[in-house]
Amino acid sequence: MAVKRTQTIDEEVPQTMMNRLPASFKPRPRRAHQLEQTAGPGSPCKHELSADALIIGRGSAADLRIDSDDVSRTHAQLLRIDDEYTIEDLDSRNGVFLNGLQVHAAVLRDGDQLQLGDVVFTYNEGS
Amino acid sequence: MGFFVRFWGVRGSIPTPGPRTRRYGGNTSCIEMRSDSTVLIFDAGTGLRELGVSLMRNPPKEGLDLHLFLSHPHWDHIQGFPFFGPAYLKNTTLTVYGSEKNENYQLLSGQMSNAYFPVAFKDLSARIVPKAFVDDEVQAGDFVVKRFEQKHPGGSAGFRVEHGGNACVYATDSELDLMLIDPNGPAKAPRTLRRLPTPLVTPMKNADLLIADAQYTDEEYPAKVGWGHARANTVVDLAIQAGVKQLALTHHDPMQSDRDVDAKVLTASERARSIGAELDVFGAREGVTLRLDRG
Repeated sequence: MAVKRTQTIDEEVPQTMMNRLPASFKPRPRRAHQLEQTAGPGSPCKHELSADALIIGRGSAADLRIDSDDVSRTHAQLLRIDDEYTIEDLDSRNGVFLNGLQVHAAVLRDGDQLQLGDVVFTYNEGS
Repeated sequence: MGFFVRFWGVRGSIPTPGPRTRRYGGNTSCIEMRSDSTVLIFDAGTGLRELGVSLMRNPPKEGLDLHLFLSHPHWDHIQGFPFFGPAYLKNTTLTVYGSEKNENYQLLSGQMSNAYFPVAFKDLSARIVPKAFVDDEVQAGDFVVKRFEQKHPGGSAGFRVEHGGNACVYATDSELDLMLIDPNGPAKAPRTLRRLPTPLVTPMKNADLLIADAQYTDEEYPAKVGWGHARANTVVDLAIQAGVKQLALTHHDPMQSDRDVDAKVLTASERARSIGAELDVFGAREGVTLRLDRG
């Protein structure tokens, strides 16, 4: 039985794409990746991630500043590559722990727990 | 100095993409070890493609100088090679290590015959050089790599990699349970340490990191005897006997979801604790880099 399709496709979609997309297709607004701080000074709080690169640390050069002696001045950096964030340890004193494992760097996934000194974050992946 | 280890592919047998495997990853075997001046690659499974993409983001002006070691030429350890971008660059030098006959080099090129792939091996632009181990040892840049035989259908090689006082062992596709001193031990006394012969333990002795095939759980293994892979609990026992500091379980079974791998790692960690060993056990995961020279 033939199914009647409703034409709700956005006008901006090229004509050549029309027959390839489901009738219900609409671009959804993107939700930003997020670091949710669950322990340490300043917690609880949420940090939306929008920059391609940012430094987490205690010092004035940090983009995400944490007022804790357990956190180095430039403790770690977050880099966005292909819309995925990677955390990298910047030779910090207390290291970066991913779900309890000390790592030099890691591509982050939804629900990952990061510990930098006494500061704990949960990474919430956007869409 | 710097001794970095990155996981690019940790799945066994066949690529397993999808939401069930997103956290640990679905690419087949590929591990990168690097210092400040040398890049070593262990196995050319599908994880190799993304390593290639990464290497080509910021290539050095003088070109890439890469060293490739293959545990064995089964498909899940070579199938990323035709998609390895640096192999198509004129100023890349890729040294492929093997035995004197270097069967690995031949088989790597064989998979690019035109029945399987549109680009022939001879048409790759990189300078690809076979190099043989001498007495199971070779110097690759500022690393020393030692090779040892493992139990696997068709054979496989493990590698002990040394640099600046640190050691990492890559030992995949090895059916440890066929080499137990007491083959009936696990059935008779599952909680007792499963002893392995000294020649198997020696290459892993006091390694900072052992990356080992731990495809199966104790429950899965009886249906897979002879398939060439280890069960996680036996790998834990090997690591304990060798005095290893950290153990990365890898070559995850394609049927195992992220949650299944979590459970496998948890069981293995509990086994190490119950035996009283100070062994840090974790599941190898794509995109994670460890630094071994932190002390």
